[in-house]
Amino acid sequence: MRHALAIARREIESYFVSPIAYAVLTIFTFVSGLFFSNMLVYYIRQSALADSMVQKYGYSDYQLDVPTVVLAQFFQNEAFMLMLAVPLLTMGLITDERRKGTLELLVTSPVRGGEIVAGKFLGAFGFLCLMMLPILPMFAFMGQGGAWEPGVIASGMMGLLLLGGAQIALGLFISSLCENVLVSAIGTYGVLITMQFIDTTTSSTQSYWITILGYFSFYMRQVNSTRGVVSLTDLAYFASYITLGLFLAQRSVEAIRFKRT
Amino acid sequence: MISVTHLSKKYGKFAAVDDLSFEVEDGEVLGFLGPNGAGKTTTMRMITGFLPASGGRVRIGGFDLYTDPVPAKQRLGYLPENPPLYPEMTVRRYLRFVAELKDVPAGKTKSAVGLAIERARLGEVADKRISKLSKGFRQRVGLAQAIVHEPPLLVLDEPTSSLDPKQRFEVRELIAELKGKHTVVLSTHILPEVSEVADRVVIINRGRIMAVDTPSRLSERLRGAESVRLELAAAGVAGDVLRAQVTEALRQMAGVSAVDVDLADGGTVHARVQSEVGVDLRAEAAAVVVGRGWRLLALSAEALSLEDIFLKLTSDEHQEGA
Repeated sequence: MRHALAIARREIESYFVSPIAYAVLTIFTFVSGLFFSNMLVYYIRQSALADSMVQKYGYSDYQLDVPTVVLAQFFQNEAFMLMLAVPLLTMGLITDERRKGTLELLVTSPVRGGEIVAGKFLGAFGFLCLMMLPILPMFAFMGQGGAWEPGVIASGMMGLLLLGGAQIALGLFISSLCENVLVSAIGTYGVLITMQFIDTTTSSTQSYWITILGYFSFYMRQVNSTRGVVSLTDLAYFASYITLGLFLAQRSVEAIRFKRT
Repeated sequence: MISVTHLSKKYGKFAAVDDLSFEVEDGEVLGFLGPNGAGKTTTMRMITGFLPASGGRVRIGGFDLYTDPVPAKQRLGYLPENPPLYPEMTVRRYLRFVAELKDVPAGKTKSAVGLAIERARLGEVADKRISKLSKGFRQRVGLAQAIVHEPPLLVLDEPTSSLDPKQRFEVRELIAELKGKHTVVLSTHILPEVSEVADRVVIINRGRIMAVDTPSRLSERLRGAESVRLELAAAGVAGDVLRAQVTEALRQMAGVSAVDVDLADGGTVHARVQSEVGVDLRAEAAAVVVGRGWRLLALSAEALSLEDIFLKLTSDEHQEGA
């Protein structure tokens, strides 16, 4: 455990001297803010329109609960943003160690493959948690308007972190397969985009196989959490993804040594 | 300290390392010598647990490296061919990270790092980023990394290659200081390095051991020929005549295999007399020169350098293979 924490700490420190990580952090925060304020303004307007319709005609087609709608939309957007951000954070995790020759240090130290992988995962996940911090004031801002949905916020944030964890675990595995960071990033984008949108194929046609395929989708699971639903199956789903990613990465790190370098 | 038995590494049919066995005693410095591509780095990587072997065993301090890797690796400090550095870290932070990986107890990390900085003479750059350091300093950081947990065994893979002569000298001095505190396995293709610091030398070529011995015994055992160098002059004899006379006189000695005489500036003559194995011609050659009434200006015996032996061994092998 001490080894894993040492590796995680070093990883987070190296993010903070990397221009890529700063760029990701800045753009993620900026675009999140943009989405949030745009959506908030849009739905408040819609709600005001609905109110005036009620006053005019005595009824309205719209029944808007602004905080719930905004939060659900916002968390879904954030999930999309994570899909864009995570590959940039995971692309170098193992790839860089191979390129710099520092994998030779890790492997010849009394450190197990599982500890290397756990440390790398915790490092990237720690940075992801830091990335989420600037979002929190936005919710406080919404709270100023009177409506405040702490339950939805908590489940939505948890959903994002679980999703991010699953994405990091897969990115970590792909990074362990690649000798080039760009290939690692592109490969991770390919996998994450597939996992995110695999459910859109399920809705167009009906088939046993497509339903099964749909079970693998990130979106279908994460979307529950944006509505304030916390279910054990969703938790188990993301936990299995993380376990699978870490397991594959650990096997792969052990196998790198068998390759001719 | 480390025992290697029947170690081999095969890539398909090609054997990069073929049935290597050797042992290194506590406190000994073993030089691992071979041309590029001989299998030195592959061997270093296998005895440090980076590369798995195709066959054979490695035991460090009694622990099998493959079945009991954690205690074996705790006893090991390793400087790979390219020092494994994180350029964005400062020297001190980097060494602390390595100390944590190498299981230095939490309370002793700071002092271990301080000691490593001192021993590798990194004091002036300790708080600089590694990316800002020169190659020589980086190599020393690599050394500090290998010794930070005071391992009984040090494996250094070509520690001075790619350094300039001054840096090379400094790193070599540091290695000489490590002697006595650690058991060292040192690979190199630079010969003076081995003859200076190693107690024993393993010469490998094409993945196989060609010879194992102390540097001095190795040069003795493999001495194919000895030679004596002479410098002499004679008054009133023309150069060419003198040359012919010297050649003839030296040839008459018993046990001579070849004589090579050159005229030098100022009327002196340089002669090189090669003898058969085990024949020392120094005294006799001096007597011959003085007996003829020539003036002997210099006389020296030449033994084969490690370099000659190395070339001889590796090129013999080459001919055998051809």
